Amino acid sequence: MEPDHRDHRCHRPSAFDKMEGLVREMQDTEHGGVPVRSQKLFLTSIPAAFMGYDLIEWLMERLGIEESEALNLANQLCQYGYFFPVSDSKNLVVKDDSSLYRFQSPYYWPWQNRPPDNVEYAIYLAKRTLRNKQRHGLEDYELEALSNLRKNLANKWDFITMQAEEQVKLSKVLKKGDKIISDSQERAYWRVHRPPPGMVTSLEQCPVPTRSWNGSRTRKRTIEDCRRDVELLKNSLSRTRVKVSQALEGMVQHVETYAEYDPLITPTQPSNPWVSEDTTYWQLNSALVEIPTEKRVRRWALSMEELVSDPTGLQEFTNYLRKEYSHENIRFWMAVNDLRRSAQSQIQRKVNEIFEEFLAPGAPCEINIDGKTMEKVHQEMKAPSRFTFDAAQEHVYTLLLKKDCYPRFIRSEYYKNLLATGIQPSQKKRFFGFGQTKKKTSTSSAPNQQLLQQQPSQGATVTCGALSKRRGSDRSLSGSAHELAVSGVKDSKVPHSHSQSNLSDIPYRVKKPSIAIVAGASTSEEVCPWESGNEPRSRKNSAQLDSGSSSSDISVAVAEVSERVQRVCTLTQQHTVDGSRKLSTSTMDPPRRASVSVPITHSTTTGDSSKRKVSSFEDNSSAATSTSSSVFVIPSDTDNKAEECTSTSKTVVKNHGLAKACSVTGANAPIISVSSVADDLPVDSKVEEEAEATCSQQEPLAPLAEPDSESPASELPPSEPITEVEVDTEAKSNDVCPWEDDNPVQAKTCSITASAQRTLNPP
Amino acid sequence: MTETEGKDCPIETIESLTKEAEALKKKLEDERQKLNDITLATVADRLDIINYMNIKPRRTLKGHQAKVLCSDWSPDKRHIVSSSQDGKMIIWDAFTTNKEHAVTMPTTWVMACAYAPSGNLVACGGLDNKVTVYPLSLDEDVTLKKKTVGTHTSYMSCCIFPNSDQQILTGSGDSTCALWDVESGQLLQSFHGHSADVMSIDLAPSETGNTFVSGSCDKMVLIWDMRSGQCVQSFEGHESDVNSVKFHPSGDAVATGSDDATCRLFDLRADKEVAVYSKESIIFGVNSVDFSVSGRLLFAGYNDYTVNVWDTLKCVRVCLLYGHENRVSCLQVSPDGTALSTGSWDYTLRVWA
Repeated sequence: MEPDHRDHRCHRPSAFDKMEGLVREMQDTEHGGVPVRSQKLFLTSIPAAFMGYDLIEWLMERLGIEESEALNLANQLCQYGYFFPVSDSKNLVVKDDSSLYRFQSPYYWPWQNRPPDNVEYAIYLAKRTLRNKQRHGLEDYELEALSNLRKNLANKWDFITMQAEEQVKLSKVLKKGDKIISDSQERAYWRVHRPPPGMVTSLEQCPVPTRSWNGSRTRKRTIEDCRRDVELLKNSLSRTRVKVSQALEGMVQHVETYAEYDPLITPTQPSNPWVSEDTTYWQLNSALVEIPTEKRVRRWALSMEELVSDPTGLQEFTNYLRKEYSHENIRFWMAVNDLRRSAQSQIQRKVNEIFEEFLAPGAPCEINIDGKTMEKVHQEMKAPSRFTFDAAQEHVYTLLLKKDCYPRFIRSEYYKNLLATGIQPSQKKRFFGFGQTKKKTSTSSAPNQQLLQQQPSQGATVTCGALSKRRGSDRSLSGSAHELAVSGVKDSKVPHSHSQSNLSDIPYRVKKPSIAIVAGASTSEEVCPWESGNEPRSRKNSAQLDSGSSSSDISVAVAEVSERVQRVCTLTQQHTVDGSRKLSTSTMDPPRRASVSVPITHSTTTGDSSKRKVSSFEDNSSAATSTSSSVFVIPSDTDNKAEECTSTSKTVVKNHGLAKACSVTGANAPIISVSSVADDLPVDSKVEEEAEATCSQQEPLAPLAEPDSESPASELPPSEPITEVEVDTEAKSNDVCPWEDDNPVQAKTCSITASAQRTLNPP
Repeated sequence: MTETEGKDCPIETIESLTKEAEALKKKLEDERQKLNDITLATVADRLDIINYMNIKPRRTLKGHQAKVLCSDWSPDKRHIVSSSQDGKMIIWDAFTTNKEHAVTMPTTWVMACAYAPSGNLVACGGLDNKVTVYPLSLDEDVTLKKKTVGTHTSYMSCCIFPNSDQQILTGSGDSTCALWDVESGQLLQSFHGHSADVMSIDLAPSETGNTFVSGSCDKMVLIWDMRSGQCVQSFEGHESDVNSVKFHPSGDAVATGSDDATCRLFDLRADKEVAVYSKESIIFGVNSVDFSVSGRLLFAGYNDYTVNVWDTLKCVRVCLLYGHENRVSCLQVSPDGTALSTGSWDYTLRVWA
């Protein structure tokens, strides 16, 4: 092969050079090539051939590769026609055995010259028809090709026949051995270039102008191109670059950090759907979930980008900021993102909307940006585009969100709660073992029932806001142990922002959401190991009282249990909590949490009838689905819960003189209903989160097999690290776990046994 | 340029500019070398070796009657759109291997297809030079609502929705990239800089990112500012066509696959090539590359029917995936990283996990 002869404009994939280099080495028998010799096959001698396993061995040794890779490579070379099977003219396959192969003459190597044309093919076919039928007879597809060619090349047929005859004559001069070799090589060549129909051909290229053999590769460069190049190079020179070591260290760290989130590196929990056929993993990790997995929540702490690129993360972050009255920043950020991705026709309108809402003087959600940035925005507003607010967005993102809100979020009790309540799917398997079929039926229906049942009991109109929509049951984890449906807070307006202020200066007061716990078996019969035979209690409506002393009150009302709930253990209580202006979550000790968790319905209604915020969620989970070992556990948990609840409400009631009713029925509490009525503060969702956190958390954490590990209620209170939370002197500072109380004595007063039923009357 | 200046420095010609570019290139290379203090494999020395990968074929999607040329995962993590040489585009539920839609394009060699972020729209194109979007709906023929968004002056080789259903970014054999407004078909921005066919593009992973990378038959890898239309960074190194480009999940590097049988890693911050993934035994071109979600693994589909799995950091091959019976034309890790899809000229797609 003489590369120089090739037209330089021709395109030739670089693989051919490499293949040819390798094949030349193979043929260099003097320097350790593949042994080629006359091979005896029965009585005949096959000239110039080598054996499959010699070839494979050579490749393995030469390239330091395993047999499988060598075999693959050998087959590739064969497909391209660098050698061919001696005894099989149809299949270009290399086997790792004693089958024989012969090298192709370099003259016939692929992509040497232009591809052969049909005249050459016709000559070749015609030649074969002139020779010994037995040895040179045409295959069916070749006969067909020949007749087609004869039609198409009718005007050249005389020439073709002449050429063919000439070549036959010439070949007669050759020695027999040489003749056999050259015939086989020619045949192999055409096998590659005119393959039988349906056979793979390696030579096919994408039919784009630049990739065919004669493709002209480079566009003529204009002076414009050159100028651009120079410009780019000049800019590149002035670019600041970091040391390679620094850049690479960053990359290695990134990979190390994310290794545990890479399903192809670290196996997923509970399982990879593609492997196990079980889609639980997807259900647990769908874009918007009620309770994210613990792993997912942990990921949010890696970077703000991680948080905001996860829809659930973004939503939790927004919820958190809303509670801090500082979510206009994140809303602005989202609005600008949306703008950037909007259709061209929407740009003008959206630019104005964003300006009106966030930037105009006295805008309802005015964001705080410096004068310079504002000036830039005004400048850009003259010619609105999708990038108009980029400067402002950048400012908000880096200075406010990333440096202020995000770190606070990650440090907050709110986040810690999310983390603590996060699902840990690895442990879930135990629950799944219990009955997957059941879940489907029970969980899908329970939440809505609960919701419906609950609403009338509140004596207040329930408004399901945006949250409820997206958190609707259709999104819920229908296959999993958790089924959540939350109709959440509809937020109307941000009263004002603390984002610029030092939030730690703001005294947080906690108002404890009280809870009505309704344990029921709407989840189904399977729940029942511990179920009591009691009929559901009917619950009181929530009383809603306003202490008047503070800007917000939360009344937690008793939820009512539906008639359809068959097996019930109910804890109901009703009370009103006098609250401070804000609720805030605070940590609690997750493992100590009582291990009842479960279908929960929880709603919060604002006291102010004009702005009602209701949230409710339901959760069917571990208690309902736990394995038999939990039979022992649940009752005790319920005890705790009952105790706690009762005491909580007692305390509260004591302080505020509110009526309270708490009835406890049965031991198992698969359903907890919480309803709280609060003032018009956007507090509700927090309440909801708290309750939710509390209620769902035990599932993964509670050691089901060891009932003893449940700590008695009396032990719980001291373990709560309540830090920044202050409460009205009167109100008990129960943070997340509303039924926990500081007063162990009170808690004790209402201990219940598994089958016991008790009603606590208002004092 | 004033007249006197014109006399002093000769008028710019292609030759003079080319010369200037050469000088600048050399200077640039020197600058880069100054900071070249360590290799990636050395930095990654502390990491454990990935000894064993249990990646196996889990699904085979059969239904195309011709070479599969491109595929893209739906954001829902289980659907795949694929396009083929015979002009068919198929929407698969890869999990069940069912075909949910099949669209026949009025062209052959549909070389690009892409799912929109909403999952409700797909775009495709090829030798017809056009990018066409199809809204997906189950109740009617999707071809009824098809819409041609943009037209290049040569074949369309790649397309991608930049985090929005409303825009589409395309690369073409006319050596340009273009950003189109889906609704109006308006050309929002065009990107000139390559001197040969653009083969592949990829978006920077950041949500707000306005940059993308392109690879071309001119062997160059360019980083673009989507907003200004300017090329902001360029990488040389490949000895042949760059067939595939992909951002590292960290956003600080891009991996490339080329006809020169190598994959390479270019770091944006160090502004240079930091790794070459090659072996003497690998002699065929790379058609497609993608990272596992952590960026530790680099999957590359080759013309020799195999997929090589590289340890991105240690720069060694982890394993080989055999299965396809012809070239692996496209390959992509699913959005949640649970699986790898490969498309091949053997008419099938496979899902590995």
